Amino acid sequence: MEWSVGEGKSRLKISLGKKENSIIPTSISIDGIEKEAPDFSMRAGDGRGQLIVELGSHREIAHVANSGDDWWIHFNGRTHLVRLHEKGGGSRKEEEGSLAAPMPGTVIQILVKAGQRVREGQTLLLLEAMKMEHKVTATKNGTVESLNFSVGDRVEMGSILAEISD
Amino acid sequence: MGDMSLDWMSESPRPFSKVLVANRGEIAIRVLRAVSESGLTSVAVFSDSDEKSMHVEIADHSVHLPGETLEETYLNGQSIIEAAKSSGADAIHPGYGFLSERGDFARAVESAGIVWIGPSAEAIETMGDKISARSLMIESGVPVIPGEEMAILEDSDHMGILASAAARVGYPLLLKASAGGGGKGMRAVSEPKSLRVEFEAASREAASSFGDGTVYIEKLLSGARHIEIQVLCDTHGNSVHLNERDCSLQRRYQKVIEEAPSPAVSDDMREAMGKAALRAAESVGYVGAGTVEFLLSSNGQFFFLEMNTRIQVEHPVTEMITGVDIVQKQLEIAAGFEIGLSQNELSPKGHSIEARVYAEDPDNGFLPSTGRLLEWKTPTGPGIRIDSGVRLGDEVTIDFDPMLAKLIVHAPDRNSAIRRMSSALSNFVVLGLKTNLDFLGCSVTHPLFQEGSVDTDFLKKTPLEELSPPETEESVLVGIAATCRKLGLCRSVNYSNEISVGGDGNPGDPFRTLGRSFP
Repeated sequence: MEWSVGEGKSRLKISLGKKENSIIPTSISIDGIEKEAPDFSMRAGDGRGQLIVELGSHREIAHVANSGDDWWIHFNGRTHLVRLHEKGGGSRKEEEGSLAAPMPGTVIQILVKAGQRVREGQTLLLLEAMKMEHKVTATKNGTVESLNFSVGDRVEMGSILAEISD
Repeated sequence: MGDMSLDWMSESPRPFSKVLVANRGEIAIRVLRAVSESGLTSVAVFSDSDEKSMHVEIADHSVHLPGETLEETYLNGQSIIEAAKSSGADAIHPGYGFLSERGDFARAVESAGIVWIGPSAEAIETMGDKISARSLMIESGVPVIPGEEMAILEDSDHMGILASAAARVGYPLLLKASAGGGGKGMRAVSEPKSLRVEFEAASREAASSFGDGTVYIEKLLSGARHIEIQVLCDTHGNSVHLNERDCSLQRRYQKVIEEAPSPAVSDDMREAMGKAALRAAESVGYVGAGTVEFLLSSNGQFFFLEMNTRIQVEHPVTEMITGVDIVQKQLEIAAGFEIGLSQNELSPKGHSIEARVYAEDPDNGFLPSTGRLLEWKTPTGPGIRIDSGVRLGDEVTIDFDPMLAKLIVHAPDRNSAIRRMSSALSNFVVLGLKTNLDFLGCSVTHPLFQEGSVDTDFLKKTPLEELSPPETEESVLVGIAATCRKLGLCRSVNYSNEISVGGDGNPGDPFRTLGRSFP
């Protein structure tokens, strides 16, 4: 999964991690070269599509909306367009190994670890939603690249719960 | 006249109760709201692609205009008059553009026994023909730009005639289509060898936009400012001017930023231009709201450009500095009331600036952009006004004018107004398509604009890099997008709406409307 910004040709990859209640970048690569991740953290804002970004000592709200792979961002008093490039196009999330939550809910159990090899159909985690338990299973054989939430976290429909790489 | 009573129309010499607005988008909304506010019934018209548009929703009634093209719908005078008759409207307001400056339409409306909210057909036609307007100004003692007025006849040696006239006027010159407007059918010609090519281009453009292929020439004043005077005239012989607007910040003759008052106009100049504007209006027995446009040269001389016989896009800046609701005045004047304002109570108060927000991409030659408005958050606060024709979730296409909104600010002085505008622009969130918001922000904070020395050549001679904001670090932007994706913060939202075609504009079921506003 790679990103490009505006008309720029560079391809960026980013890994995200948690720090207290915020999300921070843990690694960044630009055109395959690892770069030092800048010092900023983010957490969800009050409204739909709002993210609170703390950049150094400066805090600002980013407004974000997406249409397919086009991610529009209003930040720093101006508008930006960031594009997601997924192999084979954006609609084939399952083959790509990105597992999205099918409905809003709470993570109640995580059965695997990052780096673990899994089989197609294997249960990776359990979500509680609408007073019922739901299994989230691997869509293909592969390695668990990342698990984005912890037990007790609330997720939205569409949140990426885990990534499986080949 | 004093305060208008709530039942003001009952005292009217020429009352009407139901106004059809023959337009769409933001101006239709502006007028429809003014009609409702004044206690009258409002009627909107719409073509197929506007079935779910905002202007239809806010009207009391709406009438569908069948047809595929603009000519078959909004430019179809007969169809609009029929819409008025079928809905029982007894007055028509044409807005701006479209049929607002078509004398034949004004005439047809009045013949149908419907009140025309505007000046007479004769006034429209005289001022609409640039050649006859210019002759009339010369007769009335209103200064005009040095140039030659001539009608080009197709079967004569028109290039020869044109070349001789051009040589007399002198280069550089401006070729203008007699029936043009809004920048169409205008070509700058810097030397004799470009004359033929530019003439042919101007004629083609003028013919396709307004149906009339004649052009005329005038000296091109460089470094001039575009200053226009708003006038109000009633049927009792009263007329006043509401000061000037400075519309010098233009791109290819299209206005981008306007302000009132002008930083280049002194009190004496305002008085002189105001008097000249009223003389121009009186020369055609003007009734209603109108605007007289001038060019102000760098040595302080002013020259008549044209008169616009309708309300203008940038009327809000004048409303902000005078406290006068111009559309409301149009309704009162059409109903036969006196203006009720004296010239000495209309001097400018504070300073106002308007920025036009367009769906266009400045980094791509300002080509129109299209898409769905995924986010639409307008700035708010004291002295901030938004006139818009679009809403969150609307699909912006190339069918119509790409103007999304007008952002207007008012503040006690010019520097405060610039600060307010800059802040409002940076807080205006539009996501889903490219806009000129960043470009506007840089224009209004450009040192030349801040100094008040912007003339009509400003955007031509200022490189785009000076009008593009500094970049934000790419990794921060990617971090933001990746985090939103991971947290599922931007679910796509269902913007279905179910308002039916024609009939009453009321959506009926409040839960359906709620479903759109609060997805």
